[in-house]
Amino acid sequence: MRNTFAAPKGMRPPHRERRLPRRRDSLELARIGLIDHLMFTLPGATSMADWAAVCRLVGVTRLVRRTASNAVPACDNVLTMPMRGNPPAPLLKCVRLIALALLSSALCPAADDGPEFFETHVRPLLVRQCLPCHSSPTAPMGGLRLDSREGVLKGGSRGPAIVAGKPAESILLRAVRQTESLRMPPSGKLKDADIAILTQWIEMGVPWGVEARVETGAEARQQTAAAKPKFWAFVPPRDPQKPPLKNTAWVQSPIDAFILAGLEAKGLNPAPPADKRTLIRRATFDLTGLPPTPREVEEFLEDQRPGAFARVIDRLLAAPRYGERWGRHWLDVARYADSNGLDENLVYRHAWQYRDYVIQAFNKDKPYDQFVKEQLAGDLLPRPADDATQFERWTATGFLSLGAKMLAEDDPAKMEMDIVDEQLDTTTRAFMGLTVACARCHDHKFDPIPQADYYSLAGIFKSSKTMEDFKVVATWHEYVLAPAPEREKLKALLDRIAAMNKEIASISKAEDDRLAGEARRKTGAYLLAAGDTLRFEQVHLKPVAAESKTSSKPPANALIRTAASFDRGNAPRPLEKGEAKTPANTGRAGRGAPVLFAEYDIAVPTAGDYQLDLLEEETGSGTVDVWINGVLEKRGAGPVTNREASPDAGGWSAAGIFQLVAGKNTIRLEHKSRFPYFESLLIAPSPLPPGTETPRSPVQVARQYGVNPSFLDQWVEYMRTSKGAPHSVLYAMLAWSAQPSMAGGALSGWTSPAAERFRDYHPKTREELAGRYQELFLEAERKSESDRKSDAALAVFHEESFAKAGPFRAPSDARQYYPQAVQSQLTQLEKERKALEDSKPDLPKAMGVSEGDKIADLAINLRGSHWTLGEVVPRRFLRVMAGESQTPIDATQSGRLQLAEWLTEPNHPLTSRVMANRIWRWHFGRGIVPSVDNFGRLGEMPTNQPLLDWLALRFVEQKWSIKQMHRLIMLSSTYQMSSAYDGHAAEIDPENTLLWRANRQRLEAESIRDSVMAVSGDLDLTMGGTLFTFKDRAYVADTSKRGGVDYARNRRAVYLPVVRSNMYEMFQAFDLPDPSTPNGDRNSTVIAPQALFAMNGDIVLKHTRSMAEGLLARTGVDDSARILEAYERALARPPAAKEVDGALTFIAGIEKAMEAHEKDAAKRHVFAWQSFCKALMASNEFIYVN
Amino acid sequence: MNRHWNSYLNQRLSRRELLRVSSTGFGALALAGLLAEEVRAEEMPGAESVTGGAPSPLAVKPPHFAPKAKRVIFLFMHGGPSQVDTFDYKPLLIRDHGKPLPFQRPKVVSSETFNLLKSPWAFRQYGQSGMWVSDLFPELAQRVDDLCFIKSMYGSNSRHGGALLELHTGSDTFVRPSMGSWITYGLGSENQSMPGFITICPTQSHGGANNFGSAFLPAPYAGTPIGAVGVKARDAKIPYIANTETPREIQRMELDYVQQMNRQQLAATGPDAALDGRIESFELAFRMQSEAPGLQDISREPAATQKLYGIDDRVTEDFGRQCLMARRLSEKGVRFVQVSHTYKWDQHSDLLRDHAQNAREVDKPISGLLQDLKARGLLKDTLVIWGGEFGRTPTAQGSDGRDHNPEAFTFWLAGGGVKPGLQYGSTDDYGYYAVENKVHFHDLHATILHLLGMDHTRLTYRYAGRDFRLTDVHGNVVNGILA
Repeated sequence: MRNTFAAPKGMRPPHRERRLPRRRDSLELARIGLIDHLMFTLPGATSMADWAAVCRLVGVTRLVRRTASNAVPACDNVLTMPMRGNPPAPLLKCVRLIALALLSSALCPAADDGPEFFETHVRPLLVRQCLPCHSSPTAPMGGLRLDSREGVLKGGSRGPAIVAGKPAESILLRAVRQTESLRMPPSGKLKDADIAILTQWIEMGVPWGVEARVETGAEARQQTAAAKPKFWAFVPPRDPQKPPLKNTAWVQSPIDAFILAGLEAKGLNPAPPADKRTLIRRATFDLTGLPPTPREVEEFLEDQRPGAFARVIDRLLAAPRYGERWGRHWLDVARYADSNGLDENLVYRHAWQYRDYVIQAFNKDKPYDQFVKEQLAGDLLPRPADDATQFERWTATGFLSLGAKMLAEDDPAKMEMDIVDEQLDTTTRAFMGLTVACARCHDHKFDPIPQADYYSLAGIFKSSKTMEDFKVVATWHEYVLAPAPEREKLKALLDRIAAMNKEIASISKAEDDRLAGEARRKTGAYLLAAGDTLRFEQVHLKPVAAESKTSSKPPANALIRTAASFDRGNAPRPLEKGEAKTPANTGRAGRGAPVLFAEYDIAVPTAGDYQLDLLEEETGSGTVDVWINGVLEKRGAGPVTNREASPDAGGWSAAGIFQLVAGKNTIRLEHKSRFPYFESLLIAPSPLPPGTETPRSPVQVARQYGVNPSFLDQWVEYMRTSKGAPHSVLYAMLAWSAQPSMAGGALSGWTSPAAERFRDYHPKTREELAGRYQELFLEAERKSESDRKSDAALAVFHEESFAKAGPFRAPSDARQYYPQAVQSQLTQLEKERKALEDSKPDLPKAMGVSEGDKIADLAINLRGSHWTLGEVVPRRFLRVMAGESQTPIDATQSGRLQLAEWLTEPNHPLTSRVMANRIWRWHFGRGIVPSVDNFGRLGEMPTNQPLLDWLALRFVEQKWSIKQMHRLIMLSSTYQMSSAYDGHAAEIDPENTLLWRANRQRLEAESIRDSVMAVSGDLDLTMGGTLFTFKDRAYVADTSKRGGVDYARNRRAVYLPVVRSNMYEMFQAFDLPDPSTPNGDRNSTVIAPQALFAMNGDIVLKHTRSMAEGLLARTGVDDSARILEAYERALARPPAAKEVDGALTFIAGIEKAMEAHEKDAAKRHVFAWQSFCKALMASNEFIYVN
Repeated sequence: MNRHWNSYLNQRLSRRELLRVSSTGFGALALAGLLAEEVRAEEMPGAESVTGGAPSPLAVKPPHFAPKAKRVIFLFMHGGPSQVDTFDYKPLLIRDHGKPLPFQRPKVVSSETFNLLKSPWAFRQYGQSGMWVSDLFPELAQRVDDLCFIKSMYGSNSRHGGALLELHTGSDTFVRPSMGSWITYGLGSENQSMPGFITICPTQSHGGANNFGSAFLPAPYAGTPIGAVGVKARDAKIPYIANTETPREIQRMELDYVQQMNRQQLAATGPDAALDGRIESFELAFRMQSEAPGLQDISREPAATQKLYGIDDRVTEDFGRQCLMARRLSEKGVRFVQVSHTYKWDQHSDLLRDHAQNAREVDKPISGLLQDLKARGLLKDTLVIWGGEFGRTPTAQGSDGRDHNPEAFTFWLAGGGVKPGLQYGSTDDYGYYAVENKVHFHDLHATILHLLGMDHTRLTYRYAGRDFRLTDVHGNVVNGILA
């Protein structure tokens, strides 16, 4: 009985074990009992259908039908029983009764609640509060371990921590109450509620959860060795006995024997064979993801010789379409994507190489053991003779590299371990169907995988190189896929470029030093100028037009020009809204490139200060420089980088106040790369009250003081960051701006050694003070290093003045201040460098993994944290399968190759089974082990283990050939059954677990899309390459690039970019799995957004129109023939006469109804035929394969 | 875990069955929903037919216990609003302006900051509760008696990407279902013509769709985006919701024809829940197509309502529209609505200008939303949440900026089940660290679920060999804020 109630995946309570009686089962039994009871006590007029409804209402899926004549319980699955709406009212009353009864019983604690109580309340508490110190297998604090019941009862140096049933005698409880000298946990007293939980737990007798108690170290060895019998998945498959059968005529293959045995045991018969049309449609979708063409169907129908279907299979397997379909299956497992996703979504420009590798591997029928080895250790296999093979193998290691990563993690060690974890998780799930990653923080709760084993495997990945660095926004490693001479040539070229860079840098440095040297002579002026600029920054200019934008009316004396009305300029006209749409400067890069500008001639009656405002300015690409009458008056802000621009709130914004002359003035707005959008500009007399100081831009201030504006910017920034800081040398200067005097204790808080030089110093003006500073800076510069050593004050002045990031560092735009000759020399050098760079061949690259710089065993990260390390464990494989005595991995090798070899040993218990099961899943829609990615204890048991083992053994025997597996499976009677419904079988096996018929399967996202294009004749079968236009490592999802990926291409869907965190809507609607985790078992939902796609999707509309046009373009045929053709293309069958009539009527009806909307009769005609094509592709028959 | 007998029904359906058959939609009045009604109401439900054969994944599911809130509106301030410039009043920060921070900074910071920087905005006390609000939020300040402040929020990640994911999904390491997905998974949707979880103009960076994705939960629980960042609220729409080529009555004719084909096929194949379900799903899609644009269209809202949300003002228009749309969706039973003020609150510099601008954009719309919800009687069972992915340092970056600070920040909640006019938890003297009654994102998640009637330790999903929770192995309900 219990087996029939095996909980479905995804819906199971935490930390519970299957073998024990579960509360849920008892609940179900209680419900059944109640229903049973009611069935006997209520009037007998109630039908089974009504009872089924009752069962469903209270959540009982199976009904125990007990009648007087039949004492044996028969199980009916009520989900498939016919229903007539709701049961009658009296029965519904019963429902409520049952419900209430069960509800109350569910709320009372029951005897078997102990483990659950422990798991729900106690374990989390222990994990959080106690285990950090009381779990280490080697040296737990106080010798006490609280991670097992034994440990708790045994206790530590103070004796047993807990006496079961006796809270008062339990040291643990006294410690957490913190009333005595022993107070735990040290971080603070637990909440009262938590203490109450512990008390209750002790009173209950210290129940523990159920778990595979596999510990690290000695216990684990004991456990893994003594575990008997081992869990099925850890025992290598053995050839099963051939089952005894009745209906031997049906058996074409041993597969059929195993299936039939299951059916006969339940008294079921297999469905009759599928007809030929159904069979070829099924096989073609199955192997290629596309519908068969009418011609292919015709050929198969006409082929009456034996082996016709085998020939179809061979033809399909030989088609390149096969790799595109089955490669995509593997890509689900390899969590393939073309972008990083997670935090910083960067483009994996070369990921497609791996995708194409996978497609080719399937097309070539690469033996699976080889496929596994290449993906884990392609770079470590014996060096092949040819480059192509070498590149292929490097590319294969992309499997390890293309997972989603946190590229902006402030803690580099955590970033690295997270990447290792992702690789380990993917590898173990993909090849072994094990969730080893569960053991990152603690021993696996259910499978015999101790935490130590996790770190043994982690050591292998950590000793490999996936990343170039772990900086914030880290860089991943890429291979150059070119022959050695070319790679060397490239390297030589890069070296030459590096040498030139060095030369350019050294010339620049000399000039920069000269500029800085000159600037240092003017330190006083910089101080004053920076002070002024900071003061002006505090003034926030308001736009002349009022704040409220809608009601704003500019004052009458304001002059307004629309942006596009400029008198001269090369800015786009009109300006386009949306930064992405603004064309980039097409001029040459580098110095001398023409800037984008717009000049406005503005006449004002009187000279004076005028404010310039801009309306609806877009600032994402940076703001404009402002030139007045040929003089640069304000430098624009730089672009906003890596940042989403949200819709600008808009309105007017003030650009600054500038002096204009009476009469004509020229206002020139300039931008170096993208001229930003604005709507209008406004000029109005300065609105500042008379007598107010007019704020000036830094450029203007620099001019006033005769200093370099670029150094000034750095001084402003420097002063800003040291504002008010007592340790800053500038303290006196800053204090002066607040209180212009050095009298009293003005400098008392100054902690910098510089203060020494200002003692009893009383300047009269700010200028005088600035002069003093200049003297001191210069003195510090003049003095020798040893002098400075003995004079702390001078030392700090020197330090500030020469600091790498200090105010006199070379400005980024220093070049413009170099002498003309030097500028030309640099330009020339850069030209040569560019020529070199241009000659750099664009060699193909691939993401991949190589051996790491440091090969080492890893210490266990206690609780998964790299801050707390435990014992170092050797790199090795899972001991539950590989045993305790393993050949040590060479200290100079990561161990990836050894791992791959171990995985592909012929008698590895999991590798062949997991892949054979995946193949079965992709054919039948459900695995023999339904949880295809989890063969552990929490996965599902095989529904037919002999079949699985038989397949796994044949897989290895047939040299791991996947194509052979297809033949094996598809030539069985099992595969060739029809999907005909059988009411009796449906009652006994509603989910078709035993395969009494073929599963009707919904097409997957890619097949739906590709089929729409194929049926309409638009599909482009070009293979390979990328459709991504982005550069490597570009951000894929900021605003400017939204929609930058063109999904409307006619190539097969497998070639469309997969953008993590921003998946194509159609893929999302049709269950493409999240590409961040391995998934070999796609969902197949039916949700409304799919219907919306069928009704409104751009692809559907486009291709159905083209199909309609194509049909109508046929000459010499009538409409019935057109309908026949459409049916054959879309559904692989001719329409019935009634269907032809129906279609004709429908088309005529649409054409008529469209008269109200479309005047053009020809267009109405096409539209009506398009409606018909849309209907065909929206139909269930199109999207479900029988 | 789930001793709750009602949700048992759900478990009885294997995931496969549930998904394969699934929802026909949201359309069928599903079994679980029927049962829930049955338990709640004394009346017998009407004799509607139970069509689809199995519950829709979005069918209303009963909570674990009586909920205080039925739905959530999350006002997400992307970028990290500064607590010390908004709601966390720190007199000592004013006093010690310019002085060095007198204690240790966190181990991991995103960059260097300097001395203490006082807020450029004055704080005042408002309402009966006398709560402090800075001059950034003059409108919201009038509503403080409706708000419940958590001053002691903290997170673990100092980067936008990690922090956003932590806030939305509970994990800054792996792809996990977002809280809206968990909630919809737990409770279903009250409107069977609309998705249960909608996010308006969501961000595309910093985790992008993972912030509203369903990860391993079934697809119907994923957030449905309306528009995206950078799209004006007035232009935002649900994917594939409209078709400009086909007039409505023509589309109905097309649909009738398809359905006729589908029913003929179904008659031939024998019972098949998936085929049946797909027939239903087309009807639902057709209804959704009619309903959704109407829900988004705020033009029929009275002028006074539009004004209340600031839609008449260019500064507040966009966010005002989002807020009003959120109310309309909530009112129609969408379980979780997120409104995003996208990546604007990240003032490493120009704090004065940009925080002011940001606050101006959201102050009136949010205040309007609260007033409107209250007036309609919706506030009592709608949980409104306001906050960002982290706070900012009380120390200066430049002279006019603050760095990221996950150690302390303020969230506020309003409506269903929280104590109004309350201030919970506190930070140190300068607002750098949360110190008293600290609330981690996990605790916030646990509390949100609790308010919706769910025990965060019991709302689980089995995936990859273990049961996952929104709160993973963490989280405590913040009892102190419960009404």
